[in-house]
Amino acid sequence: MVYKNIICPVCGAACDDVQVDLDTINRTIDVQNACKMGNAKFQEVVSSHRIVRPTIRENGKVKDVSWDEALEMAADILVKSRRPLFFLGSETSCEAQEVGLHIAEYLGGVADSNATICHGPTVMGIQESGMVGATAGQTKNRADMIVYWGVNALESMPRHMSRYGVFPRGYWTKRGRFDRTLITVDPRRTPTATASDLHLQINPNTDYELLSALFTILNGKEPHTSIEDITGIPISVMKQMVEMMKESNYVGIFVGLGVSSSYGKHRNIEMALNFVKEMNNYTKCNIGALRGHCNVAGFNQLASYLYGYPFGVDFMKGYPRYNPGETTTVDLLREKDVDAAFVMSADLVNHIPADSAKYLTEIPMICLDIAPCPSTTAADVVLPGVIDAMECDGTFYRLDNVPVHFEPFTDSPFPETKSNEETLKMLFEKVKAKKEA
Amino acid sequence: MQVLLNTGSTIDEGRLAKGGNKYSEDYKKECAVCWMCAADYATLGSPEKVAVTSRDGKHTVAVYPKVTEVMRSGQVFIPRSIWANVVVEPDTFSTGSPRYKGSPVIIEPTDEEVLSAEEVVLKLYMGGE
Repeated sequence: MVYKNIICPVCGAACDDVQVDLDTINRTIDVQNACKMGNAKFQEVVSSHRIVRPTIRENGKVKDVSWDEALEMAADILVKSRRPLFFLGSETSCEAQEVGLHIAEYLGGVADSNATICHGPTVMGIQESGMVGATAGQTKNRADMIVYWGVNALESMPRHMSRYGVFPRGYWTKRGRFDRTLITVDPRRTPTATASDLHLQINPNTDYELLSALFTILNGKEPHTSIEDITGIPISVMKQMVEMMKESNYVGIFVGLGVSSSYGKHRNIEMALNFVKEMNNYTKCNIGALRGHCNVAGFNQLASYLYGYPFGVDFMKGYPRYNPGETTTVDLLREKDVDAAFVMSADLVNHIPADSAKYLTEIPMICLDIAPCPSTTAADVVLPGVIDAMECDGTFYRLDNVPVHFEPFTDSPFPETKSNEETLKMLFEKVKAKKEA
Repeated sequence: MQVLLNTGSTIDEGRLAKGGNKYSEDYKKECAVCWMCAADYATLGSPEKVAVTSRDGKHTVAVYPKVTEVMRSGQVFIPRSIWANVVVEPDTFSTGSPRYKGSPVIIEPTDEEVLSAEEVVLKLYMGGE
């Protein structure tokens, strides 16, 4: 049967035009409109390597157990922990994340999500200086200049250029690509840079200096000539870029981890945001982050709404605290400041530095996921995951912080649970029963 | 040779990771790879494998070299994956996010075996369990 307008649960674009033809008898799935990453995830519905049974590690051996046994052991680990870490990943719904946040609050643990190792510094930059933002539709309809800074959009969010950024025909950009100018700032000559009208091949770790120089030029001053050696970009090219932006009707800037993860971190973002504010004296200009996961923005929205802070929320003192560098996942694990972990819909062992990952494999870990990965290998309890937007409904927040409600096209393969939200609710009940016994 | 490590997505890294194939040979071939320019590769002596070591010397991982024109001298790129993260600096500058871009690392020729993702977890992180 063919299903239309399915939401893709992979990257921050959360594309809403995917068409799926699911053959439940022959267990095949044909996917239209999705990119390579999206198509691969949709194949997980019928894949042979899907995690279908809960497992626990006992005396070093991994064995299959019932859902009830796995949840009992998971609850035991969490209740016995003095300070559990809840890493509530971003490829599941806000509804599941909300239950995870409540368990963390109940147990006095720490709740964090992918933003902490993704655009966390971007969020901190926004807290410093505010953001001139826009929805993706505004960019599509109005922007005649797109700047990709520190992001290889063609490979990290493959449909951004075709849906929102460069190629689509918008109301004021009826000729699509021909009505737009594209600038890329990246130390590598990426496919995105190759497709651009202007590529600034910046030296690594000099984003702050380049942004400062652009700011100086925008204010009518001449930057010091040493900036050319530092950034690797001639001042004449910087001036060309500023002029191109000023002459445009609407500039959309998209930043990636190249800005927020290199030296300077949130200060790079702060400078970019201030540059954008200044640019609005000359033309319409906004900035947005290309978020890596379909609901990484959702956790920021949810945690901010519920507890006042976007990530790294520590409940140890009985009230929410937020101090990046202290209450954030990589730092907590590196400093060995937590003694158990619950990792949902994220392969944390794969994506954090060795010092932190090594400690994560040493403490009791519960992992909820759909396929074997380094985190499930190291976990003491593995709970099978339900795939959001395919097997259950819920809410994602897209890259531009627009909430998207998704409906499934098939059911959860597990009679024991309909969604990750329900799995977490069952876990919460067991945690409360043990804690209050 | 000391260089700056850049990590990030490639489309096939994304395809294999999202498709649940992190333990496949294809994933290893795509991600256990260090991109560098021809001049740096020649300086290393054109090795079949290179060892990438973190600046503090605590962590080393063996990967395959890939010569490409997209890199400049003094800079290398490893697709974001467990191999890259073995040597990414864990310091977050009080932001929570480690230095995925621009970590100083040392690269040199090696005869060490290139491990699979599962072997990295079991041998480097779990002490061979």
